[in-house]
Amino acid sequence: MAEMWINMGPQHPMTHGLWNLRIKVDGETIVDAEPEVGYLHRGIEKLCEDRTYTQIIPITDRLCYGSSLTWSHLYCLAVEDLMGVEVPPRAEYIRVAAIEMQRIASHQMWLAAYAADLGLMLGFIYSMRDREIFIDLLQALSGSRITYNFPRIGGVAHDVPPNFERDSLRACAFMEKKLDEYEDIYDGSKVFMLRNEGVGVLKKSDAMNLGVTGPPLRASGVKYDLRKDMPYSVYPEMEFEPATHGDGDCYARFRVRMDEMRESCKIIRQAVTKMPKGKTRIVAPRNAPVGTGLGRVEDPRGEGVMYVVGDGTDKPYRLKIRSPIFVTVSAAPKILVGYKVADVVAIMGGLDMCIGETDR
Amino acid sequence: MDERGKMSGKELGGQEKTSSLTDENPEESIIKALLDAFPTAVTDFKKLGKGVVRARIERRDLFKACMFMRDSQGFEHLSMISAVEYDSRFELVYHITSYQHKLFLELITTTPKEDPSVDSVSSVWGGADWQERESFDLMGIKFNNHPKLERILLPKDFTYHPLRKDFKG
Amino acid sequence: MDLITKDFFNWATRNSIYPLHFGIMCCALEMAVASAPRFDAQRFGVIYRSTPRQCDVLLVNGPVSKKLKPALRRLYDQMPEPKWVIAMGECAISGGPFYSSYSVVPGVDQFIPVDIYIPGCPARPEALIDGFLKLQKMIKASKKGLLTGK
Repeated sequence: MAEMWINMGPQHPMTHGLWNLRIKVDGETIVDAEPEVGYLHRGIEKLCEDRTYTQIIPITDRLCYGSSLTWSHLYCLAVEDLMGVEVPPRAEYIRVAAIEMQRIASHQMWLAAYAADLGLMLGFIYSMRDREIFIDLLQALSGSRITYNFPRIGGVAHDVPPNFERDSLRACAFMEKKLDEYEDIYDGSKVFMLRNEGVGVLKKSDAMNLGVTGPPLRASGVKYDLRKDMPYSVYPEMEFEPATHGDGDCYARFRVRMDEMRESCKIIRQAVTKMPKGKTRIVAPRNAPVGTGLGRVEDPRGEGVMYVVGDGTDKPYRLKIRSPIFVTVSAAPKILVGYKVADVVAIMGGLDMCIGETDR
Repeated sequence: MDERGKMSGKELGGQEKTSSLTDENPEESIIKALLDAFPTAVTDFKKLGKGVVRARIERRDLFKACMFMRDSQGFEHLSMISAVEYDSRFELVYHITSYQHKLFLELITTTPKEDPSVDSVSSVWGGADWQERESFDLMGIKFNNHPKLERILLPKDFTYHPLRKDFKG
Repeated sequence: MDLITKDFFNWATRNSIYPLHFGIMCCALEMAVASAPRFDAQRFGVIYRSTPRQCDVLLVNGPVSKKLKPALRRLYDQMPEPKWVIAMGECAISGGPFYSSYSVVPGVDQFIPVDIYIPGCPARPEALIDGFLKLQKMIKASKKGLLTGK
């Protein structure tokens, strides 16, 4: 049998972001796979050693541009741990509301790209239109559409605009109605179900050992969500359930993300109605003490970690970023072997890759 | 610049908590188990927060300690491997997570400046594979017994290790 | 013959600009949104194609790293004449917030000739559509016809 290596990328309509997937095929079946990243490497960790703590916040926004609020929030958590700064409660609630809106927008973007790849252009059109509702809310809050520069060390940049609570509640009600409509469309589409059910199965033990986190891990049956199990910010006061599914295939990952959008609507409702009055920001010290700070969040794509080493000046000595997709993509060979070339799109699309955070 | 050279295991930042080995907290039980299994290799420990513990370990016992944590203590997931360069040494920080006990352990090991090499843990956790390649690519740490230690983020013909302090971009 | 058909082909070219399906960074999200229902670039004739052999315009929308440079040059060479290049966003114009990094080329016009620059970080979808309209004006003013390229 003739086996050959095929290059998919770096310019390919399937690859969202710039990366190369080399697959070894025997006929139509995949025998081996090797992802190749690094086309978007910008040297962010080295850049951060030359900038002050506040100047780094816009740069961390551009790490994963699909969900940029999570990354600047994670950075602020790590530096606040290093400096020992406590954030006022109103700022925490604003942060949580904004992060959950960002989570819905990020999952909608994923759904749009996923549907477009699988041939359901209707999904692309609907998801892009509905994502705009939340992008409008975030634009009213921070002034920008995708890279917000909104959290600050010690709080958030400014307070919410007028009528924010009323608009957020309306958006959540609208979203929940639309999610019901989406489930009808996707579950009723025979082609979509054929391409997703039973494809790309990832076993539970493999998922835990290979470092896969986020929706793919929960789709394989591990009930672990950082917001519930090792919570940060004001998540202990929010009532929601992490979404899990047992099968580990592409349909399970799709299901987990749809359920996560519903849970995010619940969290947004609680956050905007329970928001206390008070200050939105305290002024953090300019120089950080000698020591280390650690931050961990549940990014829409998995577990994000930042490790900051301070040396007494106003610039960090070392900033290390853990990107969830960097590790999930390295598990791709395990998931791809045995399936056909046409399944690559469904499997890699279901992992929701954002190359900005992979390459840093 | 001098402060970093003087940084030792005792004076790092984070929350200062005096821990007693007779408490029945889950954090204490990890420390107790580690100290029992590797009495000479573990040199320092500190509780950093709820469910978060830091321990320092000698580099010769790192592989065995990781195997021990995965098999008998239930730490199934390796979160992050970081490499930090100080004036006189390199430090490798391993963050590992236990899903079942909801704990987070920070294991720090030190290597001398002239010989930045350590055993690879990619046979313990598959997720360590690419993270070790990245530390090799950007910081120049060598991992013994790694299946494929090559550059991953930079072009293959790049000759420097950019995150080192003597590389000026 | 060319005198008669040139204006007609020029009209056809400028009303059917086909960019390449190539997204690098954040501005690529705004490029995707520009073809979404709210901003709708398709009404100007802009349809994205997947292979460089069928495209007119190379839309560079992010920082170009040293690893990507040969691949991008190859994509540009694979496009047939007449072709144009649009640099979208600060990263493609000059390196953006990463200008001082060791692995970013400070501006795509260092190795590819650029026709239109769209500023912004990220450039808004309206700015991208405005860029396409300016490209249409530029094509009209250059009076190029499709067949001969003259």
